Amino acid sequence: MEDSARAPQGWADASAPARPAASSPANQTIGSSVDVRSVTKYYGHFRAADDISLSVSPGEFITLLGPSGSGKTTLLNLVAGFQKIDAGEILVDGKPIHHVPTHKRGFGMVFQGYALFPNMTVTQNVAFPLRMAGVDRQTAERRVAETLEIMRMSDHAHKAPSQMSGGQQQRVAIARAIVMRPKVVLMDEPLSALDRRLRESIQIEIRDLHQTLGSTILFVTHDQGEALTMSDRIAVLNAGHIVQVGTPVEIYRHPVDRFVASFVGESNLIEAEVMQKRGDMMTLRNRAGYTFSARSRNAIDVGKATVLVRPERITISNEAGKNSIPVTVTSALFLGEILRIEAEMEGGEKLLIRCSDSAHRGLPAIGGTLHASWGADDCWMLS
Amino acid sequence: MSAPALDLPAAGSRAVPFSQRLRNPIWLLAPAVIFLSFIYLVPLIDLIRISFNGSTPWIHFERVFSLPLYWDSLVRTMGISVTVAILCCIFGYPTALMIHRTRGWVQVFVATTIILPYFIAILIRTYSWMVLLGRNGPINKLAVALGIFDEPMQLLFNRGAVLLGMTAVLLPIMVLSIYSSVARLDSGLTRAAAASGAGPIATFWRVLLPLTLPGAGAGFLLVFVMGLGFFITPTLLGGPGDQMFAMHITQQANFVTSEGFLQALGVVLLVITLVVVGVAGRFLGFEFLWGGGKLAEAHESKSRSGASAPHRRTAGMVVADTLGWPILRALSKLPGSVGRVTVSAMTIFVIATLIVPIVAVAIISFSHASYMTFPPPSYSLRWYEEFFTDSAWIEAFLNSLSIAVISAVMAVALGASAAMGIVRSKIVGKTLIMLLIVSPVIVPPVVLGLSLYGLYLRTGLDGTIGGLAAAHAIGGLPIVVVIVSASLQSVSRDLERAAAVHGASPMTVFRMVTLPAIAPGLAAATFFAFLHSFDELVLTLFLTGPRLQTLPLRLWADVNYQLNPVLAVVSTLEVLLVIGGIILARPVLARPQRAQ
Repeated sequence: MEDSARAPQGWADASAPARPAASSPANQTIGSSVDVRSVTKYYGHFRAADDISLSVSPGEFITLLGPSGSGKTTLLNLVAGFQKIDAGEILVDGKPIHHVPTHKRGFGMVFQGYALFPNMTVTQNVAFPLRMAGVDRQTAERRVAETLEIMRMSDHAHKAPSQMSGGQQQRVAIARAIVMRPKVVLMDEPLSALDRRLRESIQIEIRDLHQTLGSTILFVTHDQGEALTMSDRIAVLNAGHIVQVGTPVEIYRHPVDRFVASFVGESNLIEAEVMQKRGDMMTLRNRAGYTFSARSRNAIDVGKATVLVRPERITISNEAGKNSIPVTVTSALFLGEILRIEAEMEGGEKLLIRCSDSAHRGLPAIGGTLHASWGADDCWMLS
Repeated sequence: MSAPALDLPAAGSRAVPFSQRLRNPIWLLAPAVIFLSFIYLVPLIDLIRISFNGSTPWIHFERVFSLPLYWDSLVRTMGISVTVAILCCIFGYPTALMIHRTRGWVQVFVATTIILPYFIAILIRTYSWMVLLGRNGPINKLAVALGIFDEPMQLLFNRGAVLLGMTAVLLPIMVLSIYSSVARLDSGLTRAAAASGAGPIATFWRVLLPLTLPGAGAGFLLVFVMGLGFFITPTLLGGPGDQMFAMHITQQANFVTSEGFLQALGVVLLVITLVVVGVAGRFLGFEFLWGGGKLAEAHESKSRSGASAPHRRTAGMVVADTLGWPILRALSKLPGSVGRVTVSAMTIFVIATLIVPIVAVAIISFSHASYMTFPPPSYSLRWYEEFFTDSAWIEAFLNSLSIAVISAVMAVALGASAAMGIVRSKIVGKTLIMLLIVSPVIVPPVVLGLSLYGLYLRTGLDGTIGGLAAAHAIGGLPIVVVIVSASLQSVSRDLERAAAVHGASPMTVFRMVTLPAIAPGLAAATFFAFLHSFDELVLTLFLTGPRLQTLPLRLWADVNYQLNPVLAVVSTLEVLLVIGGIILARPVLARPQRAQ
């Protein structure tokens, strides 16, 4: 109840990472840099992490994104020290930490299942790191109260974890992770157990918290939408490798391969042949023989190519135009603010289109013919 | 306002430091393994060695197998055990289903009536059958009153009484084993079957039965193996024609001359038991012994090959298809309530056989009569007074109490540490170590007692409280390890990690997170280890001296000598002890459920 009543405080714009910090400087920590260098981890003969290198700047919010089994949680566990690395090194502020036992690394961490101590109250849970660090009682009480205040959990201070909702438990878990103002906070799919609305509101809360605290945050998720909205940078993992590291905009607009293109966002991967290239401008021909132009900084000279066109970049029209390709509608859904249309090009290649319903045309007829087109700048070449 | 300073050692040191190797949880297994090696494995090996001590190595075994007395008894033992296992299966299945299907107080009642007898000494439960079936017992009285018999019949000392008594004693094991696999089933499965048009009988045949067969198989084997070593029940309820193999060993033990031959008898029983368990373990996985899932072996991730193996049609599936479907179609014409009524009726029968004897004994304990008769002609506390004023009984009770306390402490200390080692270390061959620790459960107590006899005589441990406590701890240890490792496995790894990442050292993590989480399991394990020792009779028969009497020993002597109501008093007190223990443990046991 209480969670849904709280409206998001502002719109997150993934392309503008720098936002004004709304905090008093006294609370601000300077986050640590985290350097993962050629880290490898085996489970038996299975390489869970394969020669992974990743540099995280101080105060950065970096997301490890990947499907299950991609090695993202393994990497986080290695940074936390739950597992020993088999090769490579991990440095925090330039100092190697991979031989330091977990409890001396001084991180904060939020877990997927909250992992609140069931035998302690909210206050005791949040005070736990302070108690372990030997902080004196008065300071500890003040810091716990402060932190609960930030997480708006002060009213629940004396409850047991089992008496609270999932969202409340997760807020307490976050409070526990940040109570020491750690230089590095690790988050292992912290929102995956929450329902969608709660998840969105806590996403924004964590984003804001990051601005307030200044800690470096390593955030693991398999939800690409979450990664795009929250991160300064995203590291996409697959099969134990880091496939691409970049800002959300880069990852979305310029994925390095088919995997990233299809894992992050919806995508059309159009097989085509390069007919002509002049500078970064190309003319391509798809399988059915229609030509279109594309401008891409990774333009290629000749031969077969896979072209990524995001569904929302495609425009549809009832009449054929220059560069347009006729498609047959196979399904059309009304999603409120947009229409989601699945269509087939000649030759059976599928095309997904998301377009606004601005003209209030309503849904196109199934089986009808539309003419799809996109701008040369909306294309991105995949190797 | 900064993070605690990082304590950074020099980088690049690849070798694991010695202190860290010492901290490896594998060392936690050491105390239990050393304890079991000295007091369990070595004596058993010694037993085997002595059995080959003769003019020729195999002479004693040749004698065992050439004398029809032993051969017949061996065949009889197998026959009785199989029969009992089958009976337990037939009656255990509906009962387990009933526990699963009922809700609220009915479920609590059914479950309690099954579990309660499980904790009461076999001796006492057998004794209560003697009371029930006796010439002046309630069954005879009732049958005469109803005109079924003309005069009281001899219902005791025959094969039927042995089968009934053993089935009643072993039934809870079967029910718990089947129930554990029934409870694991996704409740959506039966609904899915019903939604797909399967009637209750078809659902049982095609969905419930195949999925719970492993549990039933495990129960069958446990009952069969335990039946092989049975001694108390057939001795008390059987006639001269019902001699089981374990009884020969205790009888021979009275003759010192049979050194070697006696051990050979023990080895034969041991080998048969181990072969049965070994063959069963090959097919079922040895996990059936501790009723749990497979242990997480080191490097488990690569063992996914099983999932991709082609699905083979087993002979059982072919039979089920060709025979099953026509029968099912025929049965589905019966009204749906037939199955439900059968299950309920069988459950009620099972509950009656488990509870009636205990209740009858409790009533008799308040009898005023000086002999066993039911219903008592008048009621008094006369026999309670007799028990509490008899210094021999009280001394035996106090001896049992101190032995049980010491034994429970030993079992819990060794067992809890071993459980930590089993669950937390990453070693190959966990199953093997678990097998060693749990194996005392299946070794017939008679064989164990025989093997320890020599050791105790030599070391002067016989007839000492410490010696008996250690011997009882052999059987208490598996109970503790099984319970504590189950509760350790349910402790969330993330909870411990959350403590570690926020600054708690391994010891602090254990004290503040792990220990509170496993406390209910530890409490239960302590109670069960205590009861195990408190009830232990067979080992004690071998290992005690004339100076040291325990409660089960006195009961045993009196049951064989004269059936007086004092025994009923002792039995009733023991039942009260078990009930009291369970009630005391309830708030502790109920806690983890509330926390989740």
